[in-house]
Amino acid sequence: MLATLAAASSSACQATGDGFAPPRPRRPRVSAPKPDSAEGQLVERSKAGDRLAFEELVRRHADRLYAVVLRFVADADEAEEITQETFLRAWRSIERFELRSRFFTWLYRIGINEAKRRAERRPPVSTASSIEDSPLEDAPDWSDAPELRAQQGHLRQVLQEAVRALPIEYRAPLILRDVEGLTTQEGAEVTQLSEAAFKSRLHRARLAVRRAVDEYYLESEG
Amino acid sequence: MIRRFLERRRYMREHRWTHAHLSDYLDDELAPRERERVEEHVGICPHCRRVLRTLRRTLESLMELPVEPRPGLADGVIRRLGGKP
Repeated sequence: MLATLAAASSSACQATGDGFAPPRPRRPRVSAPKPDSAEGQLVERSKAGDRLAFEELVRRHADRLYAVVLRFVADADEAEEITQETFLRAWRSIERFELRSRFFTWLYRIGINEAKRRAERRPPVSTASSIEDSPLEDAPDWSDAPELRAQQGHLRQVLQEAVRALPIEYRAPLILRDVEGLTTQEGAEVTQLSEAAFKSRLHRARLAVRRAVDEYYLESEG
Repeated sequence: MIRRFLERRRYMREHRWTHAHLSDYLDDELAPRERERVEEHVGICPHCRRVLRTLRRTLESLMELPVEPRPGLADGVIRRLGGKP
């Protein structure tokens, strides 16, 4: 039986091209500078009230924090305001920051919580508290569809809209892990979820976004 | 008859398990035996194969979403830290 399965598996692999391609590579652009001893010193000095040290932390992290926040609020001015507010809050409470955490995960947590608070005050795009993540049965395999590659701009828009349509508790894991390139451990730390819960939400969010492309592809074909 | 029933039941068990672990597979967060388990099922299940391939493509596209820079952002934060408008 196993031999039969292995043979089937092998032929399917050949038939489908990259069916069992190796794991996808890690994102080349890492979202936040890796904590190093220099950063540790900057944090220590900031905790002691050294504003110049904190300003250096701002220079290191502002752009990436802004990019993360922008995925939540979809408005550049509001994202900038939240980014500024996040650093001001971080500066005011850095005495309480515990060095066993990583600075950027703490910073992202403050920023994302603020973005969530504001998002919740707005009328919801979707009132759904769950997500539709089951694949469409009649959708074809579009993974190599040349027309999708040609319509890269449209696909990008579909993806961005699908991400923004996710309930916020699913959006955060997807943005942190797949768009910003954090590890599962880092993402779980930012969202204060267990790794298992983080991975579970991430998987459902990915399937929901994938399904949105199914729908887009079917529409553009029809 | 019983044998077919048992094979079908096993297939559906593997189908559910594989579908729940496709992300872990793509993130390389499965043990070697679990990776083989996914690959065995994907090899015989067109549905899971399609979902795996399109999910991989989705993740590749998500990684390529552009980042729009905001010039002067850090300077603006630093000005506010100093109490300047």
